Amino acid sequence: MRSVAIVGTGQTDHSRRRTDVTQVGLAREAVVRALQDADLTMDDIDSVVVCTGPVLFAAVNQPEKWLADAIGARYKPVVRVTSGGGTGLAGALAAVNQVKAGIAERVLVVAYDKLSEGALQYSISTLYDPFWGREFAVGIMGFSAAYWRARMDSLGHTEEAAAMVAVKNRKNALLNPYAHVKKPVTVEDVLNSKPLCWPIKLMDVPPISDGACAVVLASEDAAKKSSRPAAWIRGMSYVSEAENAPNRSMIQSEPLTIAAQKVYKQAGITNPRRQFDVVEVQEPYTCFELSYYEGLGLCEPGGAAELIKSGATEMDGDIPVNPSGGCMGANPIGATALIRLAEIADQVRGQSGDHQIHGAQWGLMQAGGGWANLRGVAAVSSEKG
Amino acid sequence: MTTGLNTPPGVSQKLAATIGLPYTLTTGKAVGSTITALASKRLTGSYCSDCQRTNVPAQDYCVGCGGEMSLIEAADTGTITAATTTPEHTLLLVQIDGASSPLLHRLVGPAEGAVPGVRVRAVWADETKALFLDLEGFEVADSEAAASSPVDTTVDDAMKEMPYRLDLDYQHSYGPYYGRLFDELAHHRRLVGSPCPQCHQVMVPPRERCDVCFARTTRLVEVQDTGTLQAFSIVHLEFVGQTRTPPYVYAEVVLDGSSTRLIHVLGGFEIEKARDLTIGMPVRAVWKDASQAQGTLADIEYFEPVV
Repeated sequence: MRSVAIVGTGQTDHSRRRTDVTQVGLAREAVVRALQDADLTMDDIDSVVVCTGPVLFAAVNQPEKWLADAIGARYKPVVRVTSGGGTGLAGALAAVNQVKAGIAERVLVVAYDKLSEGALQYSISTLYDPFWGREFAVGIMGFSAAYWRARMDSLGHTEEAAAMVAVKNRKNALLNPYAHVKKPVTVEDVLNSKPLCWPIKLMDVPPISDGACAVVLASEDAAKKSSRPAAWIRGMSYVSEAENAPNRSMIQSEPLTIAAQKVYKQAGITNPRRQFDVVEVQEPYTCFELSYYEGLGLCEPGGAAELIKSGATEMDGDIPVNPSGGCMGANPIGATALIRLAEIADQVRGQSGDHQIHGAQWGLMQAGGGWANLRGVAAVSSEKG
Repeated sequence: MTTGLNTPPGVSQKLAATIGLPYTLTTGKAVGSTITALASKRLTGSYCSDCQRTNVPAQDYCVGCGGEMSLIEAADTGTITAATTTPEHTLLLVQIDGASSPLLHRLVGPAEGAVPGVRVRAVWADETKALFLDLEGFEVADSEAAASSPVDTTVDDAMKEMPYRLDLDYQHSYGPYYGRLFDELAHHRRLVGSPCPQCHQVMVPPRERCDVCFARTTRLVEVQDTGTLQAFSIVHLEFVGQTRTPPYVYAEVVLDGSSTRLIHVLGGFEIEKARDLTIGMPVRAVWKDASQAQGTLADIEYFEPVV
């Protein structure tokens, strides 16, 4: 199989609401920046993958048709990939496969959502079975809160432990120029914040954002022609499960465990806690990050609360998680997974500016959708391997 | 009870459902400027100097190269390139003078003579409202083609946001499994599931194949309206499309005799005490009065803890 590298990344100036651009203007901003970072133009791109969340987020069906015009992609292959919160990583995987298969030398992945335009929780509720359950659905928040409460009993993911995730990520976001929420908080602030869907409270929740991200993936030959350092994809996997199947306890995410094991095998990782220098995860609410620690094998099941408390996942810890601030700085859902990939790539490229983990060579990222049912993992390295 | 899968005749086959969503769209510079300019009876376009392409109405980005376009004043005259007649209108493609591609609009006035090659002129609404139909359409008019050199323009206080709404009506077919499920619910206040012949798990709602071993299910069995609380959260959030008034308790229940999660709400206690609920506690369905039954899951008012 051919090696694949990330040679360019770009993010928009994320915001609660961007009134200066349309959806496609937003996506285009990230594309222009990614091409600039890669020192390329659209002429160099063989194929485009567009990623967004559900179309009801922004009332435009088949938005890739509109976007192709706006980024000068006419006469190029353009597909749209959508897969819940992990959309951006699912799209990146589609692009990686195009390069691996030898049908493209360079693929542009662009992911975006303009969440300020629609009704978020209700749009998410339309993911539910219209016959059975939709009328009781509370978007993603109702069941996420419910199963976090269940994990408190079985895994010890306490409100305090989740609050520490909010404190860490919001502190890290202060160093990220793309974060639009920059407000440090304390554990007490989080615990005392307004309950939205208890145990989820206001400060456990990231902002709702307008934003986009773009990444240029290249074959080994094509990567050599870019002047800036590359981040090599050493493993990537995206796994689903039967969410409504019998005997679903929803305590651990089996898709996450499976995806992580596949990626570690591809990358030759045997001890993720020791071998990775930095981690980026997609945390729709603080409680998710605790679960990822366990699913990614950074600690044993039930060890997440202890891990966050130990400070190991802080910027100066032995396994920093979300030096970018994660979703707490910005959360344009359809773009968020690709932002995590761009952030981890920039870490091993040494391009993360103020939130750079010094000397990072191996990076791990996670993304996904739903409480437990769609999970993706990728490992990147500064070395091709 | 064990039952086959024959849906009795006369049972409802479809569920009518509506998704209604409000939006606030961002128009972007080109569309916002165009609509605002229409209110003062001006037609604007956009120009790409690299491709020498002119779009009317204006677009932000050039379809040829993806570059940013500049806003220009457009002529209000053009030539019909295609026409078709619907019961209500004659629709036209009009090549505005100087434009690189035609604009879709409608004919105002008699349809006779509105054929490709004929010259037309813009017709404006008497009262403009900053909507696209401020440009009512085009009428046949003898006129010379306007000069085609693009002239840059600006529009003051261009629109940035526009309210919008989607109301989507669906008719979802029940199929035999859901049909029988809701029939049993409506007429007998019974909940049914489908057992997997291989792994013997009972799935509610019933389905044709087991999600795990993919074996085909062949029958339905009754499950209880009592169960176990698997997870819960306390909803304080208000959102568009919500069917209940917060605060209330969202719940996932595993019914006795089944192996799957049922989404519902809990009630029958003071909401202030909701945090004392425990996972694994037994719950039971509280049914609405029979006169209010509609054959949906909402015929169960809520599940209540069994003390």
